[in-house]
Amino acid sequence: MTLRSLFIPITLLLVIAFLIGPFLIIVAASFSAGETLAFPPQGFSLRWIAKVFTVESFRASFGMSLFLAIGGTAAALILGIPASYALSRYKLPGAEIVRTVVSAPIIVPGIIVGLALLRYIVVPFQVGITLALFLAHTALVLPYAVRVVSASLDNLRSDIEEAAVLLGSSRLGAFFRVVMPNIRGGIMSAFILGFVTSFNQVPVSLFLSGPGVRTLPVDMIAYMEIVFDPSVAALSSLLAFLSIGIVFVAERFLGFSRYV
Amino acid sequence: MFQNRTEALALALPAAIFAAAVFLVPVVILLSDGFRVPTGGWTISAYTDFFSNSLNQAVFLRTLRLGALVTIASAVIGYAAAFAIVSLEPGAKGKVTGLVVLPLMISPVARTYAWIVILGRTGIVNQAFQALGITEAPLRILFSETAIFIGLLQLFLPLMIISLISALENMPKDAIPAARVLGANWFQVFWKVVLPLTKEGLVIGGTLVFTGSLTAYITPAILGGSKVLMLETLLYQQVAVSNNFVAASVIAFILIVMSFAANILLKRVATARNKQRSQA
Amino acid sequence: MTIQAMNKVILASGAALMLTVGAAEAQQKTLTISVYALAQDEYKQIVYDPFEKICGCKLVVETGNSVERLAKMEANKANPVVDMAVISMADALAASRAGLIDKVDTSKLSNFGKLYDVAKDPNKDGMSVGYTFYATSIAYRSDKMKIDSWADLLKPEYASHVAWPNVTTNQGPPALYMLGLALAKDTADLKAPIEAVGAKKAEIVTFYEKSSQLVQLMQQEEIWAAPIGRFTWAPFTKLGFPIAWAMPKEGQTGGMNVMVATKGSKNKDLALQFMDYWISTEVQTKLAEKLIDSPANKDVKLSDAIANNLTYGEETAKSLKLIPSAVALDNRAGWIKTWNEKVGQ
Repeated sequence: MTLRSLFIPITLLLVIAFLIGPFLIIVAASFSAGETLAFPPQGFSLRWIAKVFTVESFRASFGMSLFLAIGGTAAALILGIPASYALSRYKLPGAEIVRTVVSAPIIVPGIIVGLALLRYIVVPFQVGITLALFLAHTALVLPYAVRVVSASLDNLRSDIEEAAVLLGSSRLGAFFRVVMPNIRGGIMSAFILGFVTSFNQVPVSLFLSGPGVRTLPVDMIAYMEIVFDPSVAALSSLLAFLSIGIVFVAERFLGFSRYV
Repeated sequence: MFQNRTEALALALPAAIFAAAVFLVPVVILLSDGFRVPTGGWTISAYTDFFSNSLNQAVFLRTLRLGALVTIASAVIGYAAAFAIVSLEPGAKGKVTGLVVLPLMISPVARTYAWIVILGRTGIVNQAFQALGITEAPLRILFSETAIFIGLLQLFLPLMIISLISALENMPKDAIPAARVLGANWFQVFWKVVLPLTKEGLVIGGTLVFTGSLTAYITPAILGGSKVLMLETLLYQQVAVSNNFVAASVIAFILIVMSFAANILLKRVATARNKQRSQA
Repeated sequence: MTIQAMNKVILASGAALMLTVGAAEAQQKTLTISVYALAQDEYKQIVYDPFEKICGCKLVVETGNSVERLAKMEANKANPVVDMAVISMADALAASRAGLIDKVDTSKLSNFGKLYDVAKDPNKDGMSVGYTFYATSIAYRSDKMKIDSWADLLKPEYASHVAWPNVTTNQGPPALYMLGLALAKDTADLKAPIEAVGAKKAEIVTFYEKSSQLVQLMQQEEIWAAPIGRFTWAPFTKLGFPIAWAMPKEGQTGGMNVMVATKGSKNKDLALQFMDYWISTEVQTKLAEKLIDSPANKDVKLSDAIANNLTYGEETAKSLKLIPSAVALDNRAGWIKTWNEKVGQ
């Protein structure tokens, strides 16, 4: 064995142990019989998993979070894909300004975003909290949508679609027939990244929660304010497995990892 | 490159107008409070006041240092991991990439709690250290700057790795062998070939990691035991406890400027290499 | 994902959005309340659902911690969203100073006379009514240490096994206030106790922000003692360690939660009806039996086993050394400043 052939497995082992270790603790705790997180877990039981389903507020906020993550990410892609196409294929006047404006949501602290939206959108325009959350989550996901989709557009040679246009296809037709099939993996990874970002979003949603409207992560934090029992771990694991399921399906049908 | 300006604007403007209207304008209004004199007019006195306080200076420097350390560490580890992953065969590559992305899907709060179990006095790390005879008494890792560093690194490393994987995959396959044939050592290969060709990934990943580290609130609060003040902690105190939105907007603006500066700096680092290469 | 599939998702999301908006409009008589996130499933069963039946109205519940909800009330001042809120005593004074709340018309509360005297008008301004108390003292491992005074926590042999509440938490200032009493330097600026804690900063395990963390730390034997509110006591008793509730010679501190009515609310009478229901003997007894809220209604009778887990009885309530709301409000910014300098550095 040479040093180089050892480099790959050792690096991967260490990095993955570091990244996945905490996750394993959480999964183990979800099936524990004890009252706290512990490793090794104290006994085996499904009571914490069962408890998650009995907490009523989790169900409502789960629905809200799912709606925001799917709806917000889809809306961000509808805005983001044309913008990415313009940035990647056109001589766009003020391209840098457009790029900066759409990526801005990443660098502003979430708590400030939530507060700004509450004070200058929700209150003056009497916008409902649900709609405000939807707008905020769309804006938050937009930078990821534009970045990832732009990256996969940049990797796609533009002469194919130019050829299609020369051969008489309309620009729009060329986009749907030639470009879309080739960047759908990029779109999928943008969707997954956006979904995850939106689904775990806490600081923005903290101020944009209203009577009867709450997102799941905010609900979890509120629950943990007083109690931290393994039911929070159980909920986290269930959500993680749900996400893994989504990624697995995406990978199976779209080859997601090729584009991440 | 298509030349039609009207088409280009029609495609790009909806996204830009949306981001400006629901995001940029409200945030700018909020931030402008920090530059306003109550009686009318503009001033930067809130900022000079902020930086004239020695506590704030220390917190600013600590936030900057921790953000930079997490970014550098994730770049170093990220390149090693991304290299290793890219060199795998396609099937394994997908699975390993999946494992790297996995932590992103777990609530950051739950992950932070898991570190309490791992890093505690009776935690796995201390048990292993004592069993291996590295230390005799348990180390106090939890509730320190080190714990914050570990927590933030785990939180944001996946973003760096996936940015670098796509950058490395887009690199011409023969670039490294060619450089090796020309007699470059591994360090030179990295510095003169890999870095310039993957700068996009490094800039994106680095900005995400640095910004994420600056604006994380829960990780410093829980893993740092609130012994280590960060700018985001001060920001939260101002918003949620003191209801002082002007002071909060001052801190928020400083954080935003830091993120922008990091982004520009990363671009500079990567492009400087590029220029050298084209001159050579 | 194909465009068609994406269109479907968006249509579905749009429909879901409209449904949510529509559902909110369809209800005629709604009462919007703003409460702590604690034990919402039990509250729903004991308070909200029965009340909806009585009033024939719909209850909409907002949850969160006291300061965050107050910040939202402030932002919505011109067009209030919530009709009544339960917040801490000090936040009630802050809300009153900010002009967010109205006087509570206690003549409309049939159960008002049953309240402990200390709960009737906690801030002496007629703007709030207390509904529950909690004691704050020290939970500690009786096999490892002996706590007779708040100052004992800082003893060299104990300090490295103690979690202390952060100044920004509800337990922080009361605990510092008691430490000040123990040090015989109890000024309103809490300077002496903050300095004392700051001097032990390196030893003290953590300055906790979420009390939920403490059970975990106690179980891992990371800590042996922490000042806590009585409402978080129950989980500690299940850990299998000998954990005791200290009765320090300076006494116990604590807090009172109060109900307030929002200024400009369109459902004033309904809000009062709800408050009255919440302080009724029946509801207060049920909440106490579930170990959720200690009663403020003197007609509530509890078994010893239940009472032992709560802050029960008018004498106990009266004996708690509470920080006056005005002192807390006027000094809060200063406490944080001193804390950041002495402890956060």
